[in-house]
Amino acid sequence: MKIRAASDVGGTFTDLVYCELNDQTGAIESIQTEKAHTTPPDFEKGVLSTLKKADISFAEMIFFAHGSTVVINALTERKGVKTGLIMTRGFRDILEIARGNRPDFFNLRYEKPEAFIPRYLRREITERLDYKGQVIENLTLKELSPILEDFKKEGVEAIAVCLLHSYANPDHEQELVGKIKSLWPDVAIVASHQVSREWREYERSNTAALCAYVQPIAEKYLSNMEDALHNNGFDGSFYVMRSNGGIDTVKSVKEIPITVVESGPASGVLGAEALGKLLGIENIIAFDIGGTTAKCSLIDQGRVSVTSQYMIEKTPLSSGYPIMTPVVDIVEIGNGGGSVAWLDDHGKMHVGPQSAGALPGPVAYGKGGIEPTTTDANLMLNRINPNYFIGGEIQADMEKVRSAFEKLGDPVNLGPQEAARGVIRIANHNMANALKLVSINRGYDPRDFTLVAFGGGGAMHATALAKDLNIPKVVVPAHSAVFSALGMLLSDLRRDYIRTSPMPLDILQAAAIGKTISEMEDEALASFAEEGFSNDDIYFERFLDMRYEGQEHSMRVPIASSKIAEKNVDLLHRDFGNAYEREYTYRLDSDVEIVSFHLAAYAQIEKPELSPIAEDKDVANAIKEKRDVDFDESGVAEAVIYDRDKLGAGAEIQGPAVIEESGSTTVIFPDQSATVDRFGNLHIAI
Amino acid sequence: MAKEDLAPKVAEHDPITIEIIQSSLRSITDEMFATMRKTAMSSVIYEVLDFGVAMMDADGELASSGSGIPSFVGMLAPGIKSVRRKFTKPDDIKPGDVFATNIPHHGGVSHLNDVVLMQPVFFNGQIISWLANKAHWVDVGGTFPGSISVDALDIYQEGLQLPCIKVIDQGKENQAVIDIMAGNSRVPDITVGDFWAGIASMRSGEKRLQALIEKYGDETVRYAIADYIALGEAMARTELKKLPMGVYSATEKLEDGRVVKAVVTITTDAFTVDLRGNPKQGKNALNSSLDATIVDAQMVFKALTDPQSFANAGSFRPVEVLTDEGSIFNAQYPTAMGVYYETGMILFDLIWKALAPFMEQHLTAGHYGSICGTFLGGKHPDTGKEHSIVEPQLGGWGASLDRDGVNALYTGQHGETFNVPVEVAEQRNGLMIDRLCLNDAPGGEGQYIGGKGINLDYRILGDDWWISMTYVRSESGPWALEGGRPGSTNYINVVRKDGSEKRYSSCTALPLEKGDVVQVVTANGGGYGPPQKRAKDSVFSDIKNGYITAERARYIYGTEA
Repeated sequence: MKIRAASDVGGTFTDLVYCELNDQTGAIESIQTEKAHTTPPDFEKGVLSTLKKADISFAEMIFFAHGSTVVINALTERKGVKTGLIMTRGFRDILEIARGNRPDFFNLRYEKPEAFIPRYLRREITERLDYKGQVIENLTLKELSPILEDFKKEGVEAIAVCLLHSYANPDHEQELVGKIKSLWPDVAIVASHQVSREWREYERSNTAALCAYVQPIAEKYLSNMEDALHNNGFDGSFYVMRSNGGIDTVKSVKEIPITVVESGPASGVLGAEALGKLLGIENIIAFDIGGTTAKCSLIDQGRVSVTSQYMIEKTPLSSGYPIMTPVVDIVEIGNGGGSVAWLDDHGKMHVGPQSAGALPGPVAYGKGGIEPTTTDANLMLNRINPNYFIGGEIQADMEKVRSAFEKLGDPVNLGPQEAARGVIRIANHNMANALKLVSINRGYDPRDFTLVAFGGGGAMHATALAKDLNIPKVVVPAHSAVFSALGMLLSDLRRDYIRTSPMPLDILQAAAIGKTISEMEDEALASFAEEGFSNDDIYFERFLDMRYEGQEHSMRVPIASSKIAEKNVDLLHRDFGNAYEREYTYRLDSDVEIVSFHLAAYAQIEKPELSPIAEDKDVANAIKEKRDVDFDESGVAEAVIYDRDKLGAGAEIQGPAVIEESGSTTVIFPDQSATVDRFGNLHIAI
Repeated sequence: MAKEDLAPKVAEHDPITIEIIQSSLRSITDEMFATMRKTAMSSVIYEVLDFGVAMMDADGELASSGSGIPSFVGMLAPGIKSVRRKFTKPDDIKPGDVFATNIPHHGGVSHLNDVVLMQPVFFNGQIISWLANKAHWVDVGGTFPGSISVDALDIYQEGLQLPCIKVIDQGKENQAVIDIMAGNSRVPDITVGDFWAGIASMRSGEKRLQALIEKYGDETVRYAIADYIALGEAMARTELKKLPMGVYSATEKLEDGRVVKAVVTITTDAFTVDLRGNPKQGKNALNSSLDATIVDAQMVFKALTDPQSFANAGSFRPVEVLTDEGSIFNAQYPTAMGVYYETGMILFDLIWKALAPFMEQHLTAGHYGSICGTFLGGKHPDTGKEHSIVEPQLGGWGASLDRDGVNALYTGQHGETFNVPVEVAEQRNGLMIDRLCLNDAPGGEGQYIGGKGINLDYRILGDDWWISMTYVRSESGPWALEGGRPGSTNYINVVRKDGSEKRYSSCTALPLEKGDVVQVVTANGGGYGPPQKRAKDSVFSDIKNGYITAERARYIYGTEA
C-alpha cells in the first residue's frame, strides 16, 4: 500500500489528510484525516503526532506535502532575525518612507507601520543603473567591508540587498551577494532580484527585507521537518505548499521562503482547480468558510489568478507591508462560523470581524461564550442540527443560544428568531460582497461560474449566496471540511516568473517580446533541471501585463506561445481591447504597452486519481429525520435530513433538505435540488 | 417625494435590510473609486489619488463617498446643486445624461483642473440618486503648463472653463465638447482618457445601484439613504458633545507678510469657524472658493468626531463657516484659484493650530503643512514625447502627547495618496532621481520629536525643461506644542550644472537644462514638550539612527553620547 499525505499546520490544529493508493491502479482507495494540536516552537512534533495517530507507515509514504504558517507567523509576531539592508547610495530610507499613504485619512494622529529594519542597519553602497538596466556608475565593492563589520558587531544574522533597477539587470546585486558570501559565508542573504523581477523599489526592498528576516527561521523549520520525517523512515518526496497555488521542493523554498507566506489559503483554491479539471468545470469561484474568515478566489477557464500585489497587516486604518511575491488572488473577509454578531452605539447590527475562536467559541459550545455567532444563528434556524453539532461531539446548548439572540435583538425590537435571521443575512451580505469583488467587480458574470464551497461553513452558506448572485450551480466536494489540505495532493510543482520590462505593443517589438518569454522559459527549465526534472515534465502558462500608454494599472492577458509573429501582435491588441472593455465598458484608440511578462512554469509529478464511490440512487437509507428548518425569505419548511456518508453516486435530492456530514452541513433551499456525482461530490442546481 | 415622507417608520423598515442597503452604498462608491483608479491615464489620479467619487440622494445631499483624499469628500454635493440650479425645466435632465463643471466660483469645484462629472440615476422615471466624480486633470490649457501657477491674474489664464454643461446626452457623448477639451489641453490623450475613466467609474456605480434598487425597491432604498444621512448626523452630534466647549483662535503670518486668522467656537450643537476679517482676495492664484473653505473646516471637524466612521452629508451638519465675500477664503469670479490647495492648507493648519492645545488626544503638533505641489515638464529624452508631471511631496508630521511624529507622510489633506516609485518615475518621466531620503535638518526637537521631511533630488536629463511650484511654510517651520521646538521649512534648491545654487519657495515655468538638479526639501514636523524631558534612551537611539548629530543632541538635550 502506498500513501500520499498532506499536512497543514494551523494556529490551533495541525491537520493531516492522506490517501491510500491502490497498488495496481494507483487510484485513491480511501481518503482519511487526522488532527493534533499544533506544537510551537517544535512544529514537527505536531505533524509527527498526526502521522503516528493515523498509524501511517513512513516507509510506505511516497509523497508528503506541507503547508505551513511558519513564515506569516514569524512576520506577524516579529520573531525573525536581526536583519541588515544594503541599498543604492541615496536610498536607504526607502524602507521607512514607504509610499507615504495614510489610509485612515480623516485621522490626524495616524501611525505609520514601523519598518522591519531600523535606520542604523540600513546601509548604502555606491552604484547606479538606469531604468534600462545600463550601468551609470560601477559597483564600489570596497565600501562593503566596513558595512559587514558593523553588521557583525550589531549581531546581524541576515542581510537583504536591494539595488535600484535590479529587476532590469541583476548583475550588481549578484556581484554584491557573491562578495558578501565570500567575506561572510555564514550570513543569510537575500537579493531583491531573487524574490522579484518587478519594479517599485519600496515593494521589492521590503519583500527582500522580510524574506531575509524569516529566512534562517524557515530554513531551520524545514530542516527539522525533513530530519524528523527521515529519522522515522520517510524516503519519499517532500514538497512545500507555496502561496502561488503550487507546491515546490524544499530546497527552492528554503532559498526564498517568503514565497510560502500565504501557503494555507492557496491550497484550497488549488484543490478547487484540480476538482474542476476532474469534473470538466473551467469557471469556478472557490469559496472557503472557516472559523474566523471567509475566502474566495476566481478561477477563469481553469486558470488560478495570481497577483504579486500582496500585503500583510493592511487594514482600512493601516497601510501595511507589501510583499511582491506571487500569491493566489484571494479576497478574505472577517466572517466565519465563529464571527460574533453585535450592535453598535446606533443600533446597527454587524457580524464580525471579531471571532469567538475555539475558546469560548459559539454560545452553543456552552464554554462561556455569551455573544451569538454565525454558527449559533444557523442553529437557531435549525439549519445545523443541535443534536448532531460538530459531528455529534457536543450537545448544543440551545437555551443559552436563544437567550443570546433575545439579548441581541431586544434593543432593535427584533425577536430572537428574527435576530438570528438578521445575523445570517448580514453575514451572507458580507460574504456576497467578497464574492462580488472577485467576480462582478472584475467584469466577470457570476452566471458563468460554479461555486465550489468548502471549509467547515462553506456548504452552509453557499446555496443562499449562489441564489443571491445568480450563480447557477454549487459544488460541495467530498471531504469538504478538509478540502484545502487535499488540494496539495492533487497538484503539480509551480514556479512563477514575473519580469518588468516595459515596451510598446508594436509589431516592431514582436521579436523582443518572444525573446523575453523564451529567456524566462529557459530560466525555468534550467531551475527545474537542477532538481532532476526533464524538459518533458515542464509545461507553461504565459501572460502579458498590458495597459494603455500612460496608465498605471495593467491587465493580465494570456498568450499561447513564446513564438510571436507580427500577426500575433494584432491578436494581442484585440485580446487586450476585449479584456479591457469587458471590465471597464469602453476602449481607447491609444497605444498599448507591455509592462510585465509573467510565466507560470509547472513540473508534472505523478498524481493520484480519485476513485469513484458506489452507485446507489435510493436515498431512503440516507434519511436521518425530518425537521422544520427556517429558510428565511423562503419561509419555514419541513426539510428532509440526509446523512452524506450514506448517499451513493447518482442520488437525487429535492429541497427543502439538509445534508449532514462530520464537520460540515449543506443547506438545500425549497426550490433547489442536488445530485451526487460518481466521486461523491454534491452538485446543487440553484 | 417630500422630506417629511421619509421620516423614520421603524415598524415598516426592517433594520437588517436597511443596514444591508447602507453597507451596499459604501461598496458602490468603493467600486466607483477602484474603477477610476484602474482606468485613469495620469499618475496624479492613480497614484496621488487626486480624485473623489460620491453618491448623493435625489436632492444632491452626500450619501456615500469613496475618496483617496479627505479634501474631496465634501466637494461633490455642491456640484450637483449647481446642475439643479441651471437645468430646471422638466425634461432638462434625462437618464444617461452626464454633466461637467470645473468653475470653482460656481460650486463643487476647487480649481479648473478639478473637473467634476455628474450623472443622475433614474428609477421608474424618477431621479433616485446622483453619482459624481471629481479628478485632477493634468492640463486644461491656459497660460501655464499644467494650468497652475501662483502668478495667474485671473481664471481666464488658468485654462478651459466648463460652465456646468451636458457632455453626454442620454448616453450619446457630445463629441464637439470632447474635442474642445482635448484641443485645449497640452496632453490631449491623457485628458480624453481621464474623461472616460470618470465615465466608467460612474457607470460601474450605476449598475450596482440599479441592481440594489431592483432588489429592495426604490422606496426602501430612498428610506435607507435618508436614514444613513440621519445616522451620520446623529453620530457627529454625539461626538461633538464630547469636545470641550469654548472659543479658540489662531493667527499665522504668510510668506507675503499678510496675516490670516481663524476663530473656532464649539458649542453643544455647532462647530463654527469664523473667518471674517481675513485678507481680501489677491491678484494671484492663492485664493479659495467658499466650497473649498467649507471642506477645510469639515476635515478638522471630522478628525475630532470619530474619524474612522463613514462620512456623509449628516457628518458635517454641525459645521458652520462664516466668511467675507471677496476674501481669500471666499474669492469671487473671475479670481484665479489655481493654487487654492495651499490657501486651503493654510486654513486647515490654522484651525488645527487653534484647537490642538486643547484636543491633544486628536491632534498632533503642526505638520509640514504644504501640499508641495511640484510641476515639472519637458521632452522625455528617450521617447521625445512632451511630458509633464504633477507631484505633491511627502513631509514630516508633528509629535503628539505620547509619541514622536511620523516620518515622510502625505499631508492631512491627502490620504491614500501614494508617491511615485523612483524606478517608475525614471522610466515614465525621463528624469534621474539622485536621492530620496529623510531630511536630517535640525528642527522639531522635544520630549517627542517631529517626524522627518524628505530630500528628493531630480536630475534633469534633457534641455528645455521647466518647473513650477509654490510651497508654503517656507519661512517659518511647523508649530510645536507644550514647549517643543518648531520644525524646519519647505523649499527647493536648484543646483545648476555649473554648480551655482538658488533657493525657491515659489516659481513659475523656471527653465531647466540638462544636468541641472532640483533638490526638493520638505519640513520636519513640530515637536511636543520640552527637549529636556526626552528620555535618554530615545536620544541615544536618535543619534545611533542618525536622526540627530551627537553635537546637536548635546546642545538641545544636554546628552553625552
